[in-house]
Amino acid sequence: MCVGLAAKVVGIRNGTALVDANGAKREVSAQLLEDLEPGDYVMVHAGVAIAKITDDDGDETDALMEML
Amino acid sequence: MDRRVTLAHGAGGKQTGELIREVFRKHFSNPEFTADDAAVLDLGTGRIAMTTDGFIVSPYRFPGGNIGKLSICGTVNDLACMGAKPMYMTCSFVIEEGFPMDELEEIAAAMEKTAAEAGVRIVAGDTKVAGKGQVDHVFITTTGIGALTEGVSLSGAKARPGDAVIVTGDVGRHGCTILLAREELGIDADVKSDCAPLSGLVESVLRATKDIHVIRDATRGGVGTVLYEIAEQSGVGVRVDQAAVPVDGAVGGVCGMLGLDPLYLANEGTMVVVAPKERAESVLEALHSHPYGEKAALIGEITGDNAGKVIVTTEIGTETLLPQPGGELLPRIC
Amino acid sequence: MTAMAADAAVLKAGRIMTDIMEKREPARKSAREIIESYDGPKLRIMEVCGTHTHEIFRLGIRSLLPDTIELVSGPGCPVCVTPVGFVDEAVMLALEKGAVVCTFGDLIRVPGTKMSLAGARAEGARIRIVYAPDDAVEYAAAHPEEQVVFLAVGFETTTPAAALAVRRARDEKIENFSILTANKTMPNAYLALRGSADAFLYPGHVNAITGETECRRLAEESGISGVIAGFTAKELLTALAVIIEKSKTGEPFFVNCYPRVVRPEGNPAGLSLIREVMEPCDSEWRGLGIIPMSGLRLREEYRGYDARVRFALPKIEGRPNPACRCGEVLQGKCRPSDCRVFGKGCTPEHPVGACMVSSEGACAAYYQYGAK
Repeated sequence: MCVGLAAKVVGIRNGTALVDANGAKREVSAQLLEDLEPGDYVMVHAGVAIAKITDDDGDETDALMEML
Repeated sequence: MDRRVTLAHGAGGKQTGELIREVFRKHFSNPEFTADDAAVLDLGTGRIAMTTDGFIVSPYRFPGGNIGKLSICGTVNDLACMGAKPMYMTCSFVIEEGFPMDELEEIAAAMEKTAAEAGVRIVAGDTKVAGKGQVDHVFITTTGIGALTEGVSLSGAKARPGDAVIVTGDVGRHGCTILLAREELGIDADVKSDCAPLSGLVESVLRATKDIHVIRDATRGGVGTVLYEIAEQSGVGVRVDQAAVPVDGAVGGVCGMLGLDPLYLANEGTMVVVAPKERAESVLEALHSHPYGEKAALIGEITGDNAGKVIVTTEIGTETLLPQPGGELLPRIC
Repeated sequence: MTAMAADAAVLKAGRIMTDIMEKREPARKSAREIIESYDGPKLRIMEVCGTHTHEIFRLGIRSLLPDTIELVSGPGCPVCVTPVGFVDEAVMLALEKGAVVCTFGDLIRVPGTKMSLAGARAEGARIRIVYAPDDAVEYAAAHPEEQVVFLAVGFETTTPAAALAVRRARDEKIENFSILTANKTMPNAYLALRGSADAFLYPGHVNAITGETECRRLAEESGISGVIAGFTAKELLTALAVIIEKSKTGEPFFVNCYPRVVRPEGNPAGLSLIREVMEPCDSEWRGLGIIPMSGLRLREEYRGYDARVRFALPKIEGRPNPACRCGEVLQGKCRPSDCRVFGKGCTPEHPVGACMVSSEGACAAYYQYGAK
């Protein structure tokens, strides 16, 4: 439904974030997320940062499996 | 059905095969006409290999090369894939009216330098100029012949179960470079085309061992397309270990953004080599000691089952079919 | 480290310590073991999102499933559910109205009644592939002499990007930009699909915008079970394992299995942006028909950026190929291979229906990965 790319914020300017995924850089809209800072990881879709990523998938799944 | 030439016919996948089969092979067929990268001809004076290739690339200048360098590398590499030492080339230009002369010279200079590196001489040429808008800047077609190395017999039909599958470098760099150079996607990455003449690289492999079954230039359609061609021509299966395929970090990042797979992106300086398993080590050693082969890697093997198919071992150890490349490569959001 | 990461790390450390001290194998089964060893009643799971379909195939996850688990593909590929008439409208804009049509690459080969956008391009139409809707605005600003139309497809994940583009065009007075809307929203589609599966694998990136509430309510009020899933191998396996374990209770359930991206409240800025620029409307889904209030169109004050208004497009009734069963495939009522034209008249090179076009379409995925 929606390809999402996890990328690192390396710069912020006027509602725009420069993100970096393994050396591929692109400007994306940061208007949907407050207080983005360089160093944050975000999920990017169609040129917009739609969510902050707060964890890696390993820790996330470990916590879920623990719940079961 | 709509009988028009579409961009998909030029993408190197299934439709390109159809076009060749249904139009060109139908009309050009003869005993020497080849499904490999170059034809092998017996002129009574030793065997030679011969091939031709047309080059259209937009933009015609890109990080790592230009259309001139590309037009030499493409033909040199096709000859090298047959185990031939490239010797002579011809080139034919179609140039758009109004094209700046000094840029044409820049292209010619790149051809000169690349030909010298490959040890090949450009012996004849042709030039046509088309009206403004009839071609995109400049198109080049090159034809080359080379002398076959004694004792070497390479063909896409020679892969055997148990053989090792090796790539001579990281995959997808040229295709990724061109996508970015078009500047329509707003993505910036430090990626350079792998465009390089590989005759020297192949020579050093063949010096290490002549016991090689297939060498294929993984140009348009990428390594994925070449593996399917080998599977079909040899009537074998191919198993690829996903994790073993070398991909430059930034190429991976760009592919992630655009939903593309580097296995389908073009290379202009990376080949697929299929050799008996017991030769794999010496092939890799020869590749690694050459500047164009430093990132060479063993990526899989030829299998007796799954004939005609390419199976990928995934990051979680399961097996899945590599979708057969086809059609135009389109960035996707979903 | 975030609070959640810290919790997880403590949990992990605690478990490892116990394992070491008691010198035994971890008691906990892995997600993969839970999936592979499942022998309970038959479980039908619908992956709503086409990217899930695609990743599940790419990762070979189907080969791990016992016969008791069936995965069916749902309608979560915006390209697949976009009706034929929308493609016809886009083709008309490009060929007859002379507009530069900007689109995500996914839509290029979707068949319209007469032709696809690729077909229109071969006839001279100007079609540009963009990565982001904003790139189309940028192009419009640089080419004021041209009319530029962006094809706005997608669910809640993608709609904010289109809304941002429209708002920018208004703020910067870029008057030669407009959008053709086919944006859709999920909640009513879930209700329309009730009974198609025992549990849904909810599309994580839609929930990144919409949050947990709607899906939680589906479990509490409508008895529809499901989990929000991420897209990595670990996340997909975990989500499937959670479905299996929760199903054993027999109660409707909801779990957010993608908390590192999906907040309970979603993305409030994204939701209010959608509400500011768009309003709900009835919408046609290929194969599902018209689902009430499942689409979005531009609000009155943004109507000037609606390509249908700007070009006075006539109402176009698309005619899908009658042999195509995409509609039933999208509802999980039949498998792609049950369709008469699948793999014969309908292939990725010559698609008859949209599900064969997008690489995440169920038919294309089944065809390319050789599934039955």
